[in-house]
Amino acid sequence: MENSVLIPKYWYNIIPDLPKPLPPPRDPPNAEFSRIELLEKILPKEVLRQQFTIERFVKIPEEVRDRYAIIGRPTPLMRAKRLEEYLGTPAKIYFKYEGATPTGSHKINTAIAQAYFAEEEGISHVVTETGAGQWGTAVTLAASMYDLESTIFMVKVSYEQKPMRRIIMELYGGKVYASPTDLTEFGRKILKENPNHPGSLGIAMSEAIEYALEHDYRYLVGSVLDVVLLHQSVIGMETIAQLDELGEEPDMLIGCVGGGSNFAGFVYPFIGAKKGKKFIAVGAAEIPKFSSGRYEYDYPDTAGLLPLVKMITLGKDYVPPPIYAGGLRYHGVAPSLSLLIKEKIVEWREYTEEQIYEAAKLFMRTQGIVPAPESAHAIKATIDEALLAKKTNEKKVIVFNLSGHGLLDLGNYDSIQKRVGK
Amino acid sequence: MKRMLVTYMTLGYPNLEIFYQFVEKSVELGTDVLEIGLPPKYAKYDGPVIRKSYKVVSSWLKDYINPLKELRKSVNVPIVILTYLEDYLSNLDSFLTALHEINIDGVLFPDLLIDYIDNYETYVLSIKEKGLKAVLFTGPSLPDNLIKIASKISDLFLYYGVRPTTGVPIPVSVDSLIARVRNLVQNKLVIGFGLNDFNDLRKALSTGADGVAIGTAFIEEIEKNGLQSALQLVKTIRGVLDEYS
Repeated sequence: MENSVLIPKYWYNIIPDLPKPLPPPRDPPNAEFSRIELLEKILPKEVLRQQFTIERFVKIPEEVRDRYAIIGRPTPLMRAKRLEEYLGTPAKIYFKYEGATPTGSHKINTAIAQAYFAEEEGISHVVTETGAGQWGTAVTLAASMYDLESTIFMVKVSYEQKPMRRIIMELYGGKVYASPTDLTEFGRKILKENPNHPGSLGIAMSEAIEYALEHDYRYLVGSVLDVVLLHQSVIGMETIAQLDELGEEPDMLIGCVGGGSNFAGFVYPFIGAKKGKKFIAVGAAEIPKFSSGRYEYDYPDTAGLLPLVKMITLGKDYVPPPIYAGGLRYHGVAPSLSLLIKEKIVEWREYTEEQIYEAAKLFMRTQGIVPAPESAHAIKATIDEALLAKKTNEKKVIVFNLSGHGLLDLGNYDSIQKRVGK
Repeated sequence: MKRMLVTYMTLGYPNLEIFYQFVEKSVELGTDVLEIGLPPKYAKYDGPVIRKSYKVVSSWLKDYINPLKELRKSVNVPIVILTYLEDYLSNLDSFLTALHEINIDGVLFPDLLIDYIDNYETYVLSIKEKGLKAVLFTGPSLPDNLIKIASKISDLFLYYGVRPTTGVPIPVSVDSLIARVRNLVQNKLVIGFGLNDFNDLRKALSTGADGVAIGTAFIEEIEKNGLQSALQLVKTIRGVLDEYS
């Protein structure tokens, strides 16, 4: 059977199924410009429309489903049999493997959709920022799949320390610059003050937005916004079908949370379909947003260029410690996920780097896949739940999202080995 | 059935003289309800154009009671005050009493069902107890059941904003949004919030809106082309509404 037959026809949008209204995005008091208006100038129109849609199911364009097939969707749903045996648990453990896509993580799911909507609008060039490089990689590939050009502003320190990510982006056809650059006014201002500035995600994003505005290109967003969560729902829609085929009813669904897009994409379709009893969002103890964050209006971006959204946040100026899971170094939680956590529909866990490292090693040695350090957070929670099931002798069905592989994060694994010992 | 025109203007914009002329003439030209904005401390759910109008008037408008009293004398359609509940939490009763005493008809708090969702019923009750009408503001992010309840308790009409903020043309499918709420609403359904091109307006009316609320477009017109041109726009919109009557 051709793959594309198995690819979902709809994305799922949780907004109409939330228990309470989602507080809308706002401009800050006395704003000198409207951030909501800015969104209108930089995002592809259809992306913006989907950001504010209340339709429960949004049709995935055929052109997007075609590209989803090319990157290997549906991604496999695998059983972690060896891990179950090792743990001696009566629980069944399944995982959805987003690392099986060419760019190695779930990010490509929304990059393809956003690039398509830009191309459909007659735009020839897309722009974004990237930190460690996962999002940038996804954007360069997605752009090339629709014959678009792409420009990536990569945080300078990562550009210098992670040449492999830069190389992939260039091989995919993207132009990658170490931010701050002299291509934008904002970058030039920073460089004038400090020519050796290491860069930051906020600076790179400001540069990307300025560059897009200046040239009438479009800017692509990597996480947090509702529209990104919507596109990522392809993960959960596939997983529901795959579990149905196996005749399994999931008891719990687990995912890691950076901004929330892989978690939401995986879990929301289950919430919508009223499948599963327990939903667990996992974060890093070093970035304690679930335990110490406040539920309030804050900027989703460190540059403060996007509209304020109500979310669980440590504050946009919070500087996360340099843990090895770079993708979890984010101050907030996507608004709809924040609301579901506040309403106690989604539970949360936080684990330390050392706990995660142990779980990652166990997974590698039993299942063979090197997980992205971010995804290893979901593995840790899964192991804990499987051990709990062992204690109570319950045949739970646990499904987690392995949002990416860690083969390009070996440097991070090396550094944690040095810190906590092999 | 006659479709409703709800005309919005910020109190005293751009100055008292033009403000009175605009609202009085707009009533002559077929405005059914006047929605008058009082500048809030933080206009969280308004767009850039209306925010700017607040800024213009708040530099000199210190007292809102007398200008409203004047306005009441010269127009006979319902006057609904639009402002944010947030600013009146500590003195809501006296604020509502003051409005009632000068024969203002009702209030609309855009933040009521967003920021005070857990006890909105209490506030609606307070408004009604003071003899004022409570016009409820809803939008696409509200769950279906809440829209149903709100439509039943809202006075005059139910306000449904199709965009997340006024005056910013975020692309939305106006017709599908309205189609969704039309059968939930057992009340007059007035559509607003960024409804400022004729295409949207016609879509809203043909999918079953009982009326429209227009504000940003009038302010922009006054700003760019002056009072006469803004009044011409009122006339044109009235004409479109009447095509659907």
